[in-house]
This record gives sequence, structure tokens and C-alpha cells, in this order.
Amino acid sequence: MSCAQTHLHKVELETKDYKTEAKPFWCPGCGDHGVLTGMYRALADIGVDPNYLVNISGIGCSSRLPYFVRSYKMHTLHGRAGPVATGVQLARPDLAILVNGGDGDGFSIGGGHMPHLARKNINMTYVLMDNRVYGLTKGQVSPTSQRQMKAYTTPYGGVEEPLDPVLYMLTYGASFVAQTLATNVKMTAQLIKEGMEHRGFSFISVLSQCPTFNVIDDAKSFKGSAEELQENHDVGDIDAAMHAVNVAHKNGKIPVGLLYRQERATLDERMADLVKQAGGHPDYDLHKIIDLSRP
Amino acid sequence: MNKNDLIIRVAGEGGEGIISTGDFITQACARAGLEVYTFKTFPAEIKGGYAMYQTRASAAPLFNQGDTFDILCAFNGEAYDLNRSRLRPGTAFVYDGPGGDFEPDVPEGVHAYAIPMTQTARQLGSIKAKNMVALGALSQLFSIPEQPLREIIAAKFTKKGTTVLESNLNAFTRGRELAAALPKTDPWKMEASAQKRDVVVLSGNDAIGLGALIAGLDFFAAYPITPATEIARYVARHLPKRGGTLIQAEDEIASLAQVLGASFAGKKAMTATSGPGLALMGEMLGMSFMSETPCVVVDVQRGGPSTGLPTKHEQSDLFMAIHGSHGDCGRIVLSVEGVSDCIALTVEAFNLAEKYQCPVLLLSDGSLAFSTQTVPYPEPADYPIVARKSWDGKGDYQRYVITDDYISPMAAPGTPGGMHIATGLEHDQNGEPNYTGANHEAMQAKRFRKLDTVVNDVAPVEVDGEGNADIGIIAWGSTIGVVREAIARLRADGHSVKGFYPKLLWPMPVEQYEAFAATCGKIMLPEVNYLGQLAHFIRAETSLRPVSYTICGGLPFTPAMIVGKTKEMLS
Ligand SMILES: Cc1ncc(C[n+]2csc(CCOP(=O)(O)OP(=O)(O)O)c2C)c(N)n1
Ligand code: SF4
Ligand SMILES: [Mg+2]
Repeated sequence: MSCAQTHLHKVELETKDYKTEAKPFWCPGCGDHGVLTGMYRALADIGVDPNYLVNISGIGCSSRLPYFVRSYKMHTLHGRAGPVATGVQLARPDLAILVNGGDGDGFSIGGGHMPHLARKNINMTYVLMDNRVYGLTKGQVSPTSQRQMKAYTTPYGGVEEPLDPVLYMLTYGASFVAQTLATNVKMTAQLIKEGMEHRGFSFISVLSQCPTFNVIDDAKSFKGSAEELQENHDVGDIDAAMHAVNVAHKNGKIPVGLLYRQERATLDERMADLVKQAGGHPDYDLHKIIDLSRP
Repeated sequence: MNKNDLIIRVAGEGGEGIISTGDFITQACARAGLEVYTFKTFPAEIKGGYAMYQTRASAAPLFNQGDTFDILCAFNGEAYDLNRSRLRPGTAFVYDGPGGDFEPDVPEGVHAYAIPMTQTARQLGSIKAKNMVALGALSQLFSIPEQPLREIIAAKFTKKGTTVLESNLNAFTRGRELAAALPKTDPWKMEASAQKRDVVVLSGNDAIGLGALIAGLDFFAAYPITPATEIARYVARHLPKRGGTLIQAEDEIASLAQVLGASFAGKKAMTATSGPGLALMGEMLGMSFMSETPCVVVDVQRGGPSTGLPTKHEQSDLFMAIHGSHGDCGRIVLSVEGVSDCIALTVEAFNLAEKYQCPVLLLSDGSLAFSTQTVPYPEPADYPIVARKSWDGKGDYQRYVITDDYISPMAAPGTPGGMHIATGLEHDQNGEPNYTGANHEAMQAKRFRKLDTVVNDVAPVEVDGEGNADIGIIAWGSTIGVVREAIARLRADGHSVKGFYPKLLWPMPVEQYEAFAATCGKIMLPEVNYLGQLAHFIRAETSLRPVSYTICGGLPFTPAMIVGKTKEMLS
């Protein structure tokens, strides 16, 4: 377990120490406030040194979150937080990487990146803030919107089936998959903490209501559908994780809790091994490489 | 006819060992102290199709692939058909026969040598050795140094066991014997140079990889695309030795995203692609400019638009390189002439990216990508390296503070007190979002004005010739090498010609263009694209009105084409 902590530089801080002067710009009642509170708590519980924390996001209401977290941070492009974070992480495995963004950001425009973050096991924590709608662009359907949703571009109701982010991430090979509700700050904080302590790609889906543009998935309906995983749920068993999600679907429920966790080498560890095998060293004599091109 | 400047073209079906035969000839000539400049074309498909490898070798410096070959070696009928029109009186022609798949009707005055390549290889028990029979024959006929060839063959095949090595050497010897039995009627002969030079032989793509290593590359993100992939291959092989890593991304958007992440984290990072990949990177280039995050992007241009002509030569990404991205988005664009530039300007690209905290694009092209050339041994210590301006830790840190030179110090994660946001949103000097008109104007000015001094940091152009001239030729990329030779020939014919070779394409070195034009009567600008892209920018940014000479047939210019067009303009 000692090895599992190298990406977490620690200090003693309180939740308020992670707050910036900027006031969150979200609407009253927006679930993202709860996600942020949970995040502050998780950071304080671990004692992450903000100087070694990089918080990265894409574009959306949810992607504004890094402005409110004291840390190094990058506010990137719509859908591209994952690959930007990959570059930061591989370049500097000593940093704690926290990514967050919306359902459109992660599973529509950025959907092509998700499999690779997961299968490559990039050591970062990805917090999905799923409001099942495009918030920032004022209420269009997203890939997680329920089919019947009437929205900006679906005045007669939607015609597409939604996808389930956690099922995808389990399939893609994420080594840590969990789900929680923004209204359950305690569970959100706990899962983000565990995700950050996990060495590898941790994915935490937070159902975060958008009272402004999504009236069918409000805080109450999320709460009503949430179902905690059974006490004897085996987090090391991928089949059990998939089964739990599928059963919940059938019953119209949302499974919450830690679904799956696996210990597995991360990409930066494998790359470090590769460099070691090559006898890699920044002072390696370049002449030896150039000499290979003599005729 | 300068017999010390020879061009040998080997042509046949992809997979018949055309490329390795050409490589053997090239390496042997370089070992014999000659300069080499090669040119290859190969099919876009994996198996079969026409492949060609041309080696130009000379005791004097070479700048391009030449006009056409002096010696043709055809492995099959297709190779003969495709090259027949270039056979002229005096050319030597070596072909597979008897026993090959064609019977040539050799034009008058061509020196033909029939070597039963296929038949002999079969007799020796391995059809794979066909190219070795040809190589032996070429070596005998044209004095391609035998000893270096044998050494290179040995070096290549020893790994594969003694039987394979023996069979290749046998085929080589047999080829020499077959040729020795024929009377030599042509004048072509490779003269080894007495001068031993300290050189390396590199392709344009490998040289870019090497330049990056010299610059101190830490991180490379790749996505495969012809004709740029070899850069990643070279880096993947050598970067781990220096402690760095290469990652193959899921697409080009991700590869540039990863580069920006690594650069934000304090590392030197790059990616390399071709036109289709650069098109995908457009939005991310804007992020690099807006967030002032250094990055180096190599674009090895190929025939476009769309999927276009993936393996063919073109210089048609200039519009995209200079302006590709939304909004007013600045960047630095460099372009390489030959292999030696591929090393030096890649180092320069990193220096500029680190200094100016903006995207730097380096344009190469399809013919240079695979062209191998001799260049003086690159001594790493000879290339100055520039580090980014970093925060001294004093006072309150402002990531985007407006300084005298408009360049703000950077702080990498882990620097106490250096916490900040790198953002693509318009922001104030602290990085906080700010959409006021006054702020946007001030910050755009900051990001653009810092680039005012770029022209002083590189040799932006090279001028070939002094005083006044009747005609000035402007060229960029690998066309420069063609123009150099054309100008030498025109001068030898008594014409007054000057050359202007920009290496910094953007920001445009306007003063240099104007100064050059003031000394020239007419201005001609040959480039391998349909629209005349550099000419377009010159007309927009300077008072020059160059005459465009454009081609886009998938091949580079030849010196003879430039000579012809220039004479036409002068008459
Ligand atoms: C390339 C690009 N396309 C479109 C947009 C416009 N856009 C901004 S946010 C967004 C969707 C936001 O939805 P989501 O990711 O779910 O985040 P939320 O606002 O719901 O938190 C879109 C389409 C953009 N910024 N960039
Ligand atoms: S629009 Fe929706 S997601 Fe955006 S801040 Fe308001 S409530 Fe939150
Ligand atoms: Mg959303």
C-alpha cells in the first residue's frame, strides 16, 4: 500500500483551505454545489497538498469546478480534459490528478477518450457530474438523457436511448468504478477519497441534478431511485459489478456505492519499467544514438 | 555530363526488395565518402504496387534529387513501362532478362544490360535473393564500391543466420559475375571520394526525431499517419534511453491534448502528424495559444485535401499551418529544406516554443520524409538550448502578468505558491475569466506582441546571391534545394538570378521580403500546391507580386523545370 500513495503529497489542511475566493457560479439547487462540497471534504480528509494537485476539466457548467478549488488547474476544451490530464500525469507521476466534467463532455464529444483512460489505467480520478442534460448550452438532450425528455432540440420528446456511464467504464476496464448522488455529500466525499487513494484510473459517477434544465431528473427522483449496493457485494468481482448494474436497470433503480476495484499496474508504472529496461537516464550520451546513423 | 554526379533508380514491385537495394547503394556510397540524396515513392497499399528508390551520389554537395536518372534498374515490366519515357540516349538500363516478365524495346542510344535476376535467384534456391543479383550487377557495372556493400550486406543479414547471409552474398557475387561477362558500353562510374567525411545518413523523419532528442524532448504523443509515422518510430526507440516516454494516443486531438498537459507539467513535449491530423488539432492549437502553453507540432505534408494522396509529396498545408484554428490565433511556423534543417530547426522549434509559450509548427513534406541524405555529424553541444522563463518564487504569482517583453513566467505544479489556472477562456493576468472588451484587447495584444521579436531569434531567411538580379526566386520547404541547383545552372549560363529561402514562414519576415524584392526585376515562386499558398500570404502581407509557378502532381520540382520556367520569364 505504501507504493499506492506516492502520487499523494500530504499536508494538514481543513476543507476551507481548498476554497478559492471565486464563488461557485452554479444556479441555486444545482447538484454541482454538492459535488464540490464532497470534493473539498475528500481533499481535506486525505490532506492533499494543493501544490501537488492538478484539477482539470473540459467545458460545461460542471467543468467550471476547478475555479473553486485551490490547486494547479487546467480548464481545457469541451471533451478533452481526459487526454490533457493524461499528459500531465505521465509527465509528472508525482502529482495527484483530479478530473471533472459533465455527461456531454465525457460521453458525447469526449466519448472517444474514455475507453483509453480506463484501459491504459492512467492514474487519475475522474468525477463525472451527470445531470443528464447539457446545462451550459441551456438544455439539450445528452447521451444520458432519458428518452422521453422534452428539451431545447427535442420539442416532441427524445427518440434516442440513453447510455449508462458506469456500465461503459466497467466494460472499458476502469480499475475503480463507483456511483453516488450529489445530494449525498458524505458518500460523494468518501468515494472521491477512495478514488484518489486508489492507484490507477478511478471513475466516480455523481448524479447531479440540474433543476434549471432537467425537470424529469430532479434531486427527489434521483434519491427515490438510488439503491445502495448489497452489503456482501464483492468489489473485486467484475461480473458482480455488471450484474448489480443490470439488475438495478431492470428495476428502474440507480446503484450507488463502490461497484468495482482492481489493483493493476498503471501506465506510468509500465512506462517507468520500460525506461528502466532501456537503461534510461537523462544523461544518456546522445552520441551513442547519433553514431547509429553513421554509414 | 558530370560523371561524378550519378543518379541510379531501382524500380519494381513493392515487396521485391526495391527499398533495401536502394538503401544498400546509398549506404555504400556514403561509406565511400560520397554525398547522397535519395528519393523514394512507394504504394499506399501494403502489398504489391509500384515502388521506386533513387539514389543520387556525388563528391560535391547535393541539394535535391536531381532531374532524372542516369541509370535505371527495372525489376519488372511495370517499372519499365513507367520509366521508359525517361530513357534517353546515353542512359544505362539494367533489366531482368531473360526470364523476366517483359521484353524491352530498348530505345536507340540507350545502353541496355540484360541480367537474368529472377532466373538466377531461382537457380540459387531463393527468389528472395533477386534484388541481391541486381545489386551485384549494378555494383560491377557502375563501380559501386564492392567492399562497403559486402560489409553492409553482412551487417544486415548476420542476425538472420549464416545460411541466409551466405545465400545473399552468393547472389550478390553471381550478379557481379553476370555483369562482368557483358561488355560495358556506357560512361557511368561511381568514383569513391578520397576525402573521408564525418557524416551521418538520415531520413528527414529520423532527423526530426534526432533534433527533438537534442532539444531535450521529454514527452512525445503519437498517432500513426503517413508520411509522419517514422518520427514516432525513431523517438519510441531512442527516447526511453534518455528517460522519456512516447504514448500512442487514441487520435490526434488526444495527442496534442497530451502534449499540452505534459508541457503544463513542465516538460518539453511534441507531436508529429500530417495534414489530416493537423486538421483535427485546430481547436487545441487555439488552447495552446490562449493558455500560453508551449508545444511543438510537426506536420509532414502529403497530398490533400481530405485523405488525398497519402504517400505523395505536396506543400499544401500552409494555409492551415498559419491560420488553422478559430479566432485570431497566433503561432510560429517554421519550414525545413533538407535533413540538416530537420535537426537544426526542430531544436529551434523547441527553443521558440519554450521562449514564446505558444504553438510552434514545423512543416516538412512527403519527399523529404523518406529522403535520406548525408549531413555533417551533428554535435549536440553545437545546438544552443533555450529554457522557458520560470517564476522566481517572489511575491504574488500572476500566471499571465504583462511584462516588458509580454512573456509571463511559468510555474510548474509542485512550485509552492505558484498555483494557477491554464485556461482557454479569455482571462485576466491572474487567469480569472474576464470577457470585458478592454481585457480581451489587452490580452490579445500581449499574446501577439510577444511574437514581435521571433524574427530576431532565428535566421528567418537565407538569401542566395548578392547585388541586383533580373529575377529573384522565392522557395520554401524542400523546393529550396531544387532552386539552389537551378540557380547555379542559370548563373553558369550567364543569367542574373537570386534566391530567397524563408525558413520562418510565420510571423512573416516582411522587411526581408521587401529588401529582397528591391534588388530583383521579376519574382517567381514555385511551390507544390494548386493555390500558390505562400504567394497568397506574400501578396497579403508585403508589396511583392510574385509570379506563381505551381504544380501538384504528387512529385517535387526538378532543377530543369525551374531553369525552364525562369528562362521563359526572362525572355
Ligand atoms: C467544440 C465545442 N462544441 C460545442 C461547445 C458548446 N458546449 C459547451 S458546454 C456543452 C455541453 C455541456 O453539457 P455537459 O458536458 O453535460 O456539461 P453540463 O453543462 O451539463 O455540466 C456544449 C455543447 C463547445 N464549447 N465546444
Ligand atoms: S444550468 Fe443546470 S447544471 Fe448549469 S448551473 Fe444551472 S442547475 Fe447547474
Ligand atoms: Mg450535463
